[in-house]
Amino acid sequence: MVLVKRFFSAFLAASILFTGSIQTVQAAMISSEQVAEQAFTGSADQDRARIISALSREDVQVALVERGIDPVQARERVASLTDEEASAMASQIENAPAGGIIGAIVLVFLVLLLTDILGFTKIFPFTRSIR
Amino acid sequence: MFRNVLMLAFFLLLNACAATGVRETVQNKDLPRQHELTKTPFFPQELYHCGPAALATALNAIDINVTPDQLVPEVYIPARQGSLQIEMLAASRRHGALSVKVAPRLDAVLKEVAAGNVVVVMQNLGLSWAPSWHYAVVVGYNLEQEKIWLRSGTFERFEMTLSTFQRTWARSEYWAFVALKPGSLPASDDPDAVAKAIVAFEKNSNKKDAYLSYDAAVKRWPDHLVLLMGLGNSAYALGNYSHATSAFRDATTAHPDSAAAHNNLANMLMILGDAKAAKLAAEKALALAGADQAMRVQIVKTIEEINSYTAKNPH
Repeated sequence: MVLVKRFFSAFLAASILFTGSIQTVQAAMISSEQVAEQAFTGSADQDRARIISALSREDVQVALVERGIDPVQARERVASLTDEEASAMASQIENAPAGGIIGAIVLVFLVLLLTDILGFTKIFPFTRSIR
Repeated sequence: MFRNVLMLAFFLLLNACAATGVRETVQNKDLPRQHELTKTPFFPQELYHCGPAALATALNAIDINVTPDQLVPEVYIPARQGSLQIEMLAASRRHGALSVKVAPRLDAVLKEVAAGNVVVVMQNLGLSWAPSWHYAVVVGYNLEQEKIWLRSGTFERFEMTLSTFQRTWARSEYWAFVALKPGSLPASDDPDAVAKAIVAFEKNSNKKDAYLSYDAAVKRWPDHLVLLMGLGNSAYALGNYSHATSAFRDATTAHPDSAAAHNNLANMLMILGDAKAAKLAAEKALALAGADQAMRVQIVKTIEEINSYTAKNPH
């Protein structure tokens, strides 16, 4: 089953690759994205990178749904990522810092209070750092 | 043991004097001494939703009306109880704003504020081993008082010392971005960051917005290859062939060894009916493409199109 899925993904990736240049501008025009890829990442391995990104898009979408996001929303969210972002997100979704938590962890309350006062942290709005 | 603790506390205190980069910024003569964007709207955060709240603040600041609730399904990940940096940039683009990363320096952030752009930053308000990741929006600063003000969480005007801000921001590796109206540019002089941002923006934006962004960027950095090619392609997509042609021509002048620039110029010349010049440009492109197979395939296609055009329209 996983193998079938992989095959399908590779097929999908290949078809995206094939239509990519046509879709962006016109048959023989070279897209800005392609120029940027060359300018910023060097020409080597671009096709490979694009296949990886197409595969990552699917991984990211699955990962988002697994993490409680509506499948339709997940598809739209993935569609708004660039190739580079999609690859990065596939590897980061579990470990990259996710901003959201405000408030303190009870266990380290005192430590954080001290560090707040020293100006290393800013958990508690009522603290005034000594500098 | 007690002595060690005492020593540690002493060093901590020493360290607390000023975070790295703060003194340089405070002494920076190019920055206005103080500035605050007092009209920036405020959206108090609901539990864990600092990402949507910060993004709504930044977007409404440039008159893109969207509420945090609308942004929750676009950036929030329930299982992570937070929002990822990449999606903050992408969601901002989805709403028609150009999101550009700001250089990882305090003075770069303050420079944007001084220029009228609020800056979305990621902070770790806790410690590396007890993280408290948070998004906030920098709206003002005062170098004399060494203070910075943010729309942050449930606080409309959250005050921090520059040192504390710098330390909490450093833990996100100084991650920051500005959301701009198409046609506006960041204050910093970083054409590569702008080019990357517009290329990403172009993917989902409407054609006009992409064109406006490229056009503004080329006016400021007239020799940048990616920007010139983007301007040409986006002008072409809007049917503005003369502007597209001049952009590609400028690209071939500034970057005579760019195969892509010659190829796209060739396509435009053919559309404008100058098959002879088109053929020359395409052949130049092919000679420059070297071993780049993907590029060669596209250029050969250009040449074939020119040939069939010439065959159909003999002089």
